[in-house]
Amino acid sequence: MSNPFAINTSVQDGVTVITLEGFVDAHTAPHFENAIQAEIGAGRNKIVVDCRKLSYISSAGLGVFMSFIEEVRDVGGDIKICGLVPKVRHTFEILGFQDIFEMHDEQSTAVDRFQGN
Amino acid sequence: MSFSLGHSRLEALLESAQLLHSSLNLQDLLSHLLRSVMGRLLVTKAFIAVSEDGCMRLAQVRGLPKLKIGDAYHESEVRENGIRIILPVGDENSPVGYLGISQPIQKDADSDELEFLRALLGLAAGGIENAKAHSKANKLNEELDQKIQELKTLLDLVRGLTSSLEPDEVAQLLMLTLSGRWAVRKYALIAWKSGHPPVLRFKGMNPDLLAEFSSYKNTIEDLPDSMKVSDLPESSLKNMLMEESAEVLFPIKAGDRTTGGIVAIGGRPGNLSYSESDLDFGTGLVAQAAVAFENAWHVREAIERKKVEQELALAATIQENLFPSSLPILSNYEFSARNRPARQCGGDYYDILPVGGVGSEGTFLVCVADVSGKGLPASLLMSNIQATLRALVGRVHSLTELSAHTNELLYAVTPSNKYVTAIMLDIDINTGKVRFVNAGHTSCLLLRADGEAVWLCATGTPLGMLPGMSYEEQSFELLPGDLIALFSDGVTEAQDEDENEYSEERVAEFIRTIAGESLDNIVDKVFEEIDRFAGSAPQYDDITLFIIKRKA
Repeated sequence: MSNPFAINTSVQDGVTVITLEGFVDAHTAPHFENAIQAEIGAGRNKIVVDCRKLSYISSAGLGVFMSFIEEVRDVGGDIKICGLVPKVRHTFEILGFQDIFEMHDEQSTAVDRFQGN
Repeated sequence: MSFSLGHSRLEALLESAQLLHSSLNLQDLLSHLLRSVMGRLLVTKAFIAVSEDGCMRLAQVRGLPKLKIGDAYHESEVRENGIRIILPVGDENSPVGYLGISQPIQKDADSDELEFLRALLGLAAGGIENAKAHSKANKLNEELDQKIQELKTLLDLVRGLTSSLEPDEVAQLLMLTLSGRWAVRKYALIAWKSGHPPVLRFKGMNPDLLAEFSSYKNTIEDLPDSMKVSDLPESSLKNMLMEESAEVLFPIKAGDRTTGGIVAIGGRPGNLSYSESDLDFGTGLVAQAAVAFENAWHVREAIERKKVEQELALAATIQENLFPSSLPILSNYEFSARNRPARQCGGDYYDILPVGGVGSEGTFLVCVADVSGKGLPASLLMSNIQATLRALVGRVHSLTELSAHTNELLYAVTPSNKYVTAIMLDIDINTGKVRFVNAGHTSCLLLRADGEAVWLCATGTPLGMLPGMSYEEQSFELLPGDLIALFSDGVTEAQDEDENEYSEERVAEFIRTIAGESLDNIVDKVFEEIDRFAGSAPQYDDITLFIIKRKA
């Protein structure tokens, strides 16, 4: 029995927006990893992960964020997070992610941050 | 409390009391306390020390550049730094803290003012206790959150691992989970099983490190379940790990030394270190993954076995097609043959070929051969002799020449412990004249119409065993009603549960009793009879039977 999960990727003003929906757990984390890997592989290193519809994330899911942050920052990119609902935000914070990742309420704010304004 | 405090002091006390009891933040509370005291008494130096886990530590300092927050409180030290008045916070005998001030600048700290201070500290004691309890509860809650998160992580990993059938997937899940749990950016994993390519996964670390790990293969079992890199004995491995900023190591241990692996993890953000409980947690996850790796290797091996089986089945089909698809149908002769290999592929072979080429029905070459050994190696050689015979038939003038040629050709391509026994017959169907060569093959049966059994015994050595051999050709006349039974030793040497052999005598006797039936019936019944004789004993050797009968 697997939990609902969906992932969508779009590009706005040169920034990749990956939208997560449902449960990112041990089963679905590999999909998330592949999606980010594909963007980086295509040379797109400015990534916003939109979590408005994310209802659960496990450590494996958080591990995906950790797996690429070094790589994208090395080439001047970043992974920014937006739209975390309180429950999911709590998970991020327990593990100290707020010290490593920029978190924004609005997707547009996160995207704008890449434009240097 | 004395009434001599006066109106303004009472008011200040009330204000502080409200504030001290409305804030649950210890630092806010302490700095308010310090501000009130310093403002009222006009002092430039002050401190508050609070007891923390049984040790009195400085919690707030003002105007005391040499003292640091968090340091242990020593009365002599604060006095050296200009503190003149020190008062206990709360009960004098077991104070929750101390407040100290320098000499008030403008007025003497008169007794009333000290009285006020005591009253204020008495009030503050309750507030500090509350705030401490609150912060302790918060800390416990955080720890509980962490524990819950650990449990969730473990559950999630276990659930994920149960559906991971590939070692690569196991590695991916484990490393994503560990890096997510500890917010680490650098890690490396290698897992190996002999006979398989190792599984590698790394981020932010030099892949050469993984090669270094493999030299640790033999000591994996002796490593503890987890260890800090700084605790490793001095070695090139340790230097390399330090260089790659790996902080902890988890060996992946399996039941035996043919499988194993290592996980190396880099530092956590914000200079967080790995606690004992973190290491225990990591050990738990890695142990789960170790089992999953084992399972995944097993699945992979099972799949590979399946592949081999499929290839064997394909080989068996190819081999089946090496046997004649049908036997000649003649008015005065009848033929029937069957082969049943002990394993999927066999080393027995039979054939019947018109000597003058297809369509010419004067003379037929009939052959039953048995390659030494069994299974796939034997079947390879079987295909070789099939090709050799088919190539030579019709191009040589006699059986002796055919045998000698075949012997040379096989000898050239096989080691001396690989050879073929064969019985080859030339049957002139017009005259009934039969010539034969028996190259080291088991004796075959000529059953005369009157029931007399004649054995066609060896006339030379097996083919491919020795170079330069010549083969004697013998002959007889096949009369109407006579029957020839050619077989491999799988027939005569079939064993029952007590290891008794079926034997030439039993073959002859049994065929004699059913000699009047159709040849297909005879072949079927001989196989049935052999199976009946063998009982539950497994078929050990390939079984081939080729029967020829002259009807008229």
